[in-house]
Amino acid sequence: MMYWVSVVTEAGIFAILALGLDMVWGWCGDFDLAFYGYLALGSYMTMVLTIGKPVPPTQYILGLSLPYPLAVVLADIAVVAFAAIIGAVTLRNLREIYFAVTTLSAVSALYLFVQVYTPLFDGYNGLFGLVNPGQAALNLTYNGYRTFFMAVVLGLLGLAYLLVQRVSGSPFGRMLRAVRDDEQAARAYGRGIFFAKYRAYLFGAALAGLAGGLLAVFISAFNTSAWAPQELLLIYAAILVGGRGNPRGVIIGVFVVYVAFVELTRFLPFGDAMRQILIGLLIILMLRFRPEGIFAERPGGARAGGARAGGARAGRTGNQVGEVADPAAARAAGTKAAGT
Amino acid sequence: MADGRAAAPATAGPQPAPLLAIENLAKSFGGVTAVRGCTFTVAEGTVVGLIGPNGAGKSTVVDLVSGFGRPDAGRISFAGREIAGPARWGSRRVKTMRPDRIARLGIIRTFQNPREWPQLTVLQNVLLARCAFGHESLWRTLTRARRIRREEAEDLAVARQILDRYQLGDLADVRAGTLSGGQKRLLEFARIAAAGPRLVILDEPMGGVNPVLGGRIGDAIRQFAADGHTVIVVEHNLPFIERICDEVIVMDVGEVIAQGSFDGLRGNPRVVDAYLGMDLSHG
Repeated sequence: MMYWVSVVTEAGIFAILALGLDMVWGWCGDFDLAFYGYLALGSYMTMVLTIGKPVPPTQYILGLSLPYPLAVVLADIAVVAFAAIIGAVTLRNLREIYFAVTTLSAVSALYLFVQVYTPLFDGYNGLFGLVNPGQAALNLTYNGYRTFFMAVVLGLLGLAYLLVQRVSGSPFGRMLRAVRDDEQAARAYGRGIFFAKYRAYLFGAALAGLAGGLLAVFISAFNTSAWAPQELLLIYAAILVGGRGNPRGVIIGVFVVYVAFVELTRFLPFGDAMRQILIGLLIILMLRFRPEGIFAERPGGARAGGARAGGARAGRTGNQVGEVADPAAARAAGTKAAGT
Repeated sequence: MADGRAAAPATAGPQPAPLLAIENLAKSFGGVTAVRGCTFTVAEGTVVGLIGPNGAGKSTVVDLVSGFGRPDAGRISFAGREIAGPARWGSRRVKTMRPDRIARLGIIRTFQNPREWPQLTVLQNVLLARCAFGHESLWRTLTRARRIRREEAEDLAVARQILDRYQLGDLADVRAGTLSGGQKRLLEFARIAAAGPRLVILDEPMGGVNPVLGGRIGDAIRQFAADGHTVIVVEHNLPFIERICDEVIVMDVGEVIAQGSFDGLRGNPRVVDAYLGMDLSHG
């Protein structure tokens, strides 16, 4: 039982991260590789704000003993500030592979810096000691607290989902997709490209930071072995499976992929290596057979009319739009769907 | 076909300031001079044709006016505002406004290929073109989503009307990427109508368009003018230009070689020369 609590909690945390990442990749079309860094920074900052003064030879910055919820909020602000810098540099003119490589460089630099500069977060050793904050105050057993924490994570995931859905179906969400589809045309209609992407980027980073704060309690410790930049590929795989640009699909994708992976790698040999192989295989297969994911993005986002006959074939993640073979059929399907 | 041209404006008396004024515009790409010493004005409420052989620099001028390129020299002013001109203290660099800013000032341009937003529906394409920037605040979206949806209801009704006007009503909820070429052209016009700019610049709107649709496009352009918008049309189809334009500007090898009514062009030796004796009469 507690095993499933653990799995669901972890999947829930990564679902929050995935929602944030989907905003940047699914709605803005930018392939960001720095997002795991935001998660990591969120975890680290939450820990240095809650575990109190460092006991030598351990060393880290700050070392306050703030209440956990406050620490998460402050950590999230720090993450958004960091993302504000990265985003300001990368979102101006970099697109596609150049954007991806630059964000990867940024997160790799952070990764190495944290590893090597021990006064920051104690390098390779990392931080530990954030064990079930508030367990005594809530008068729970260890297992009781873990179950309670799962409920908190799922609750926050629900809240994140509602906010993301709201943005997805809003004029802002629609505008992001237009910027993604055709930037020049969006400019021709008065949209400031950088400003649009920047806001979405910071919102996504805020979700990643929140996920980081929750992960810190889940693991109760955090060091550089917990976050290599390539960990993000599992999240991308989950988004691919579930449905890029579709918030519900993203959450389902994370749960499906995460639970499936956890279960599968229990029985297969070579554990971790096999996991990497399977992730790669999953990505290749999804891109080949169903790039839009199980739940394709609805035209213009959530709450929009669900035109599907023309849409399914048109929804290729490479942003190539296939012409529908029979426009009359598309029209017929379109008029059947509900209007916006 | 009805002759939609307005009577030639009287030349006596003070003229209102032109909506668009271009002065000595120049632009080179590497070693190729695309535009040089280009000067012309466009009066408000007119339909002006911009014609010339291939390579004359017409599309470059459109890019420069709409902010999608930086002039090497010259000055562009729109509605009294300078949108491109020498940087401060007379330096050689030309400072220019960003294209989205120019669009917000009231210049909407099309591109040679229809550029719809393929993953959005036809209706959403038109809604977006309506440029209700106030609805696109992220903060308001997170906190006042219901209010935004209510405010959008009016835009929605107008958008549907516009779609009906261009016979796209049935396609409102279809992904724009799946439309046929002709439908995409109509969608471009629907978007322009939704945006309601002071100046519309159409870059070869007749490309690959059949005569029936061409007739509708011509009517749509005359309707824009009747509604008070100013239109610049870059085109190769000369009978079309003759039918809908009040005035024509002819470019060749990067400069303006004539500006005036279409009839006047036939007698202009430079124009005839530029078109290598092409027949400028009705096709």
